[in-house]
Amino acid sequence: MYPFWEGVLIHSTLYVAITSAFHVLVSHLTVAAAWFNLYIERRAVMENREELYQYLKRSALGLLVFAYVFGALAGVGIWQTTTAANPRGISTLIHNFVFFWGAEWYMFLIDVIGIIAYYYTFGRVSKQTHLRLAWILALGSTGTLSIIVGILSFKLTPGLWLQTGNSLNGFFNPTFWPQIGLRFFFMFVITAAWALFVAAGLPKGFFERAKIIRYGAGIGILGLIGGVLTWLLIYQPALPQHAWAILPSRAIPQPTFPIIYFGLIATAAGLLFAFLAPDRQRRVFALGAMVVMYGAIFGAERTREVLRKPDVIAGYISSNQLVFNDLPARNVSSEEQRLNETGMLGSLPFVPAASQIAVNPRMTFGSSDPEVAVGRVIAIQQCGSCHSISPQTELSVAGVALDLRSQAKLLQMRNLSTVDEIDAYLGGIQGFPYMHPFVGTLEERRALAKYLAEFTQLSAPQTAAQAGK
Amino acid sequence: MTEQGLTIGDMLKMMRDPLGAPFFPPALQALLVATWVLHIFFVTLALGASLFSIYAFWQQRDERARQLGRLSARLTPNALGLGIVTGIAPLLFVQTIYDPLWYTANALTGFWSVSFIFVVMGGYSLAYFFYLKGSQDRRLLFTAVISFVLLFFAGWIMHVLHGVSIRPEGWMTWYMPDGVIDTRGVTFHAYNIPRLLFLLPLQAGLSLAVVLQFSAWYLRRRGDEPAFLDWVAELGRRLGVIVSPLYALAGLGWALTEGPEFGVTLVALPLVALGAGLSGYFLWLKGKQHGPQAVLIWLAGLLVVAIVREVIRVASLARFGYSVANYPYTIDWGSVIVFAVTTVVGLAIITYLALVIYQAYATREGHISPRVERLGKVAVGMLGAWFGFFLLVGLYTLIVLN
Ligand code: HEC
Ligand code: HEM
Repeated sequence: MYPFWEGVLIHSTLYVAITSAFHVLVSHLTVAAAWFNLYIERRAVMENREELYQYLKRSALGLLVFAYVFGALAGVGIWQTTTAANPRGISTLIHNFVFFWGAEWYMFLIDVIGIIAYYYTFGRVSKQTHLRLAWILALGSTGTLSIIVGILSFKLTPGLWLQTGNSLNGFFNPTFWPQIGLRFFFMFVITAAWALFVAAGLPKGFFERAKIIRYGAGIGILGLIGGVLTWLLIYQPALPQHAWAILPSRAIPQPTFPIIYFGLIATAAGLLFAFLAPDRQRRVFALGAMVVMYGAIFGAERTREVLRKPDVIAGYISSNQLVFNDLPARNVSSEEQRLNETGMLGSLPFVPAASQIAVNPRMTFGSSDPEVAVGRVIAIQQCGSCHSISPQTELSVAGVALDLRSQAKLLQMRNLSTVDEIDAYLGGIQGFPYMHPFVGTLEERRALAKYLAEFTQLSAPQTAAQAGK
Repeated sequence: MTEQGLTIGDMLKMMRDPLGAPFFPPALQALLVATWVLHIFFVTLALGASLFSIYAFWQQRDERARQLGRLSARLTPNALGLGIVTGIAPLLFVQTIYDPLWYTANALTGFWSVSFIFVVMGGYSLAYFFYLKGSQDRRLLFTAVISFVLLFFAGWIMHVLHGVSIRPEGWMTWYMPDGVIDTRGVTFHAYNIPRLLFLLPLQAGLSLAVVLQFSAWYLRRRGDEPAFLDWVAELGRRLGVIVSPLYALAGLGWALTEGPEFGVTLVALPLVALGAGLSGYFLWLKGKQHGPQAVLIWLAGLLVVAIVREVIRVASLARFGYSVANYPYTIDWGSVIVFAVTTVVGLAIITYLALVIYQAYATREGHISPRVERLGKVAVGMLGAWFGFFLLVGLYTLIVLN
């Protein structure tokens, strides 16, 4: 339906992952720091503590330069990367939620203009006015977060939207409230980690250093308990059946769960230590806590994104960018059904007919079989969004392969190398909970098998040579 | 595609999202045009300020230029920050009514579309770094230069994305040169140099010119050194006098290249008139002070440019029978109401913030008037109430729409 951008050196999806890792870090920090600074500034005003403004001013500059603008940019970055990697997925979201995003845009504007106002008016406006700016920042960033949760959770659990087609049903979907709750509690944890980091940097004996640390740690511990309880009692039960099939599967890359558990336990231990021995708190400890915490957060966010595989919007559109269910309320009908009859080739924009596909042996592992060239087009359309389907996205750095579930490697793992074997295997990939059935005709599937057989063969000697080293 | 009888027009229609738009498409088109004006104003201002600060720190003679250079080094990253956030709005609307174009252009130029953000981040970071650490003796001046180059390059990427998007006739050949699909997205497929010159460097000059006028007017009111401010205002005016005719010329070049291509050579009229009008305005400004007026006139000028861009896109697509007016839609009241309410709250807060920044520097010691304080109280109350509203909509959905 759209041209396919496979990625350069690494797979397009990995660009999304890198950008979102960064965005997750920065955006959470923004919200956490806004609330922490509000707390500090309130005390500064109420107790008339001039020295606190020094801290606030320094922190505000860091936030202005780093968190707000980079947060906004990384947000746009997620947009650009998902657009390039899966345009129709983002299209579904935008055509449902453009006005929610529009509302969120006001919150961004408030955040960015707000932090500029906040930083540049220290000492130039009354303390009350400045405190009001702190409130605006705290509320604005929380507003951003509340809106995006509706859109994020929709992908996994569109809920009643699948029947009504009403964006409100999609937005306030079955995992919306649980996720809001979860994020609300973990916000305290992140704020606590940030507070510890900042407070630990203050000289010993500085105004209530120990007290802020203890207070922050206490809030963090409560948040952690609340978050874990919300996860167990509210979020988990709201997960759809399908998610439970994905959780233990190979779709979730290996060390994810250990990272999450370790992150949780280490964060709890760090907070407890800070709570019990606030005087011993040091900046490196706080930084360490933040690093493991972000490891856990990132693992959890990625897992949340994978739970809906193979769909982009569960029950509606799949990773191959085809709508596979009817949505009568919005006059949408399944596209897959038709394509199984007509075949893929020549039936969609940017999926050329066999007669239009030329052979270039460089793109088909040296083969000049036109069927392999056709197979490449099918692989691009059907499998490319989740797999490395050519060496173009199989960069390896210092012996570490950065491919994304390379199909050549997976087929080798199963010892499948002949066209017949692969073709037969392709007939059953829907048996894995994370994959859709092949869409298209049997001839098209056979062409795909031929292409994959060449790909597997090309990669095989390399892998063998590497193993021999 | 013609072999299967799939014309470009069929293709464009097929690629529209089956969900349709959630509101009258022409209204979304108006929002696209209007919000783009803000976007281009701030990014060109950032570019202009960046270039001026480089010049000011490079030359060693004029102390006034250096003083102004420091101010514009500070302005660069802040204007850019606003340029980035104001870019998000047109980004939303363009995808809603021009999804076939926007997504195709991004996929065909995938590598650059993805790199774009890192380019802007680099440019922004270096601009801030230079503002904080750069100094008189040209130390670290190269960071400002790299920053400018990166930001200009970001504008180039935007320009190519747009150029690709309005040329559907080229898509298949770009995607499948000689029948072999290219999935790397590393080629800059379409551009138009006069258009780029018009939109970026020349508009950067004009945005800077009016902001210099404005700054002189603004700072004079708080009693800053009048001689310096006269110089600043005159500098802005002269910049305007020099750039405006070039602007008209580039506009003509743009109209004479893309005009015939899409059958809208008439856009030469507004573009040249705009350049000529601005030339006249800057000549007339001699010896006068019209800070806010200059900015308003320039924003109106940018609106003309935004409309011309839109006319060109519409004309290009009309060749294939694609029109925003026939884009399918169903009004999705829920999200429309959420947006409308947030607009009211958002505008109140933004107005307040803008007034605080304005008043904080309008006098020597900074004084916020009681009326603005009252607005602040109300606006923050509205923002707090917004959360109540949000919750209510949620409960309504949960209980009534079930
Ligand atoms: C929604 C994303 C997605 C799409 C689309 C997809 N796959 Fe997969 N596939 C996966 C995941 C996730 C795995 C598990 C990876 C692993 O085992 O490490 C997988 C595994 C596989 C395996 C190995 C299965 C095994 O364990 O034996 C094969 C073979 C495979 N895919 C082929 C294909 C082919 C061929 C296509 C295109 C027709 C395709 N996939 C499309 C996600 C996808
Ligand atoms: C240094 C940064 C930037 C510069 C110099 C820049 C410049 C430009 C220019 C020159 C255009 C007009 C292109 C043309 O008509 O040929 C444009 C359009 C646009 N820009 Fe930017 N831009 C920048 C950053 C951004 C960012 C960060 C975003 C997104 C958040 C953005 C979103 C847009 C959108 C949506 C359009 C309109 C595209 C269309 O109408 O098809 N820009 N920009």
